[in-house]
Amino acid sequence: MGTDLAEMKKEALKDFSDFINPMKVRTMRTVGLDIIEDRRSGASVWDITGQKFIDCQTGSGIMNVGRRNPEIVEALKGALDNYDMGVFLLCSKQKADLAKRLAEITPGDLKCTVFGVGGGEANDAAIKIARGYTMKTGIVYAEKAYHGHTGFALSAIGRAAYKEPFEPLIPGFTMVPFGDADALEEAVTDDTAAVILEPIQGEGGIHIPGDEYLPAVRKICDANECLLILDEIQTGFGRTGKMFACEHWGVVPDIMTVAKSLGGGIYPISATVFKEEIQDFFIPHPFIHLSTFGGSDLGCVVGLASIDYILANNLPAHAEAMGNRFRAGFERLLNDYPELLLDVRQKGLMMGLQYTNESIGPRMTKKMADRNIIAIYTGNDPSICRLMPPLVITPQEVDEVLNALEDSMKELSGEAGLGRND
Amino acid sequence: MATTQEILEALADYQVQCNNNKRLRKMQRDWTKLLHFFAEDTGGSFSMEVVKGEIISFKSGAEGTPDVVVTANSEDLCDMFWGDLNPNSKYLAGEIRVKASQEDIMRIDAISMIIWPDA
Repeated sequence: MGTDLAEMKKEALKDFSDFINPMKVRTMRTVGLDIIEDRRSGASVWDITGQKFIDCQTGSGIMNVGRRNPEIVEALKGALDNYDMGVFLLCSKQKADLAKRLAEITPGDLKCTVFGVGGGEANDAAIKIARGYTMKTGIVYAEKAYHGHTGFALSAIGRAAYKEPFEPLIPGFTMVPFGDADALEEAVTDDTAAVILEPIQGEGGIHIPGDEYLPAVRKICDANECLLILDEIQTGFGRTGKMFACEHWGVVPDIMTVAKSLGGGIYPISATVFKEEIQDFFIPHPFIHLSTFGGSDLGCVVGLASIDYILANNLPAHAEAMGNRFRAGFERLLNDYPELLLDVRQKGLMMGLQYTNESIGPRMTKKMADRNIIAIYTGNDPSICRLMPPLVITPQEVDEVLNALEDSMKELSGEAGLGRND
Repeated sequence: MATTQEILEALADYQVQCNNNKRLRKMQRDWTKLLHFFAEDTGGSFSMEVVKGEIISFKSGAEGTPDVVVTANSEDLCDMFWGDLNPNSKYLAGEIRVKASQEDIMRIDAISMIIWPDA
């Protein structure tokens, strides 16, 4: 490592600490991930000092097409030759093209779109639309749910620590256990506007519901004339082996939110996609929900390029295949390290390793960082490691990650503080 | 190996450092917790009660239902309270074990960052 680069890194970390967030730097340093992101390509990112890491975190799924995918970069460069962000009050071909494409690729009769910048904003819009359209107020959400840190979305997060400092939040929200259709049915009332769920919980720790759950929720919503909002922000765009996770269960929501990988890791954009009849809410209120930067023309060009890339390269199928390759390795680890690894939850390349206790998540994160892999425990539960590598990950890179996991577990198994009760 | 008396002395200093730090008190004013510490080599146990960011008491013995449980050897506990040891490296080696929510672990680490910024 060159002295200049080492100094540059030290200064960048100090400035980040001084001007952005000191505790973030401290925490990342503790687990060996005080990386200053520099070069990025495919499944990898390089620290400013030149150290290469395979990124299995990817901002919880913003890099499905890989880091700095050349085709997406070219699309943005081309757009910059001709356009700017656009003016949100005006209409544009870029916005219309992406909305039409989203209608084509989303399941069932989802058709119309409201654009935003980030996932929280998309969920805010979904909840507002549900209340406006149904003229009801109740929102039912799940324990351990994560929908973003903005107003309505924050009220639907199933983790008290994110919410308590900001209370009182928006009223009318009821939390139920995830995966329990009976509990959800009990919580839905005549005043329920919508049920909002992730098809597979990401931040909560990669919780996959039973096969009967989402179809049952769909029926409950239909019976009670409330809307079903599915948050596909982490699960969408091929992550789970299908374009959208709800397709595993043949369930079509009334409103679907997407973000993260819609932006190809290059440009922020989100979308709230809903059925045509819900558009009736906007006909008398065409300007009731606006976003200055939502669906910028540059973002829409990137969004189209990202979707085209995912489809042209059949990334959902590749995610399924690479997921299977991971699974074979996980089976060996489950067998060899029962004192460390309790369970693996997985759909395609949405993967969660359930460790035996809460100290193992941070300790494994550090050991994986020492082996040049970014694999971080979840905020909701440090006993769970969430693995969400880019969908373009190669078989060789999958093997590198598995080898690093095995080496890390082998080293950890000789240390203190393992097992369920420690 | 640290004696019970030595750990209590370290805790007394930790209490003074925390309670006299205005920035820390303000930062932690919404933090009310009961912490237990166990010295696994001596079998000693200790309690610390924090109310609105102020350490209002500490003592030998672990009573009540704790929000946070820290287990380590007596020497590491003592060094941790004196600020002579960065607990993170011991935590990552499994030599200091913490049973607590992520938020409470962050709070404890935040105390170390504020009162020993150069550690």
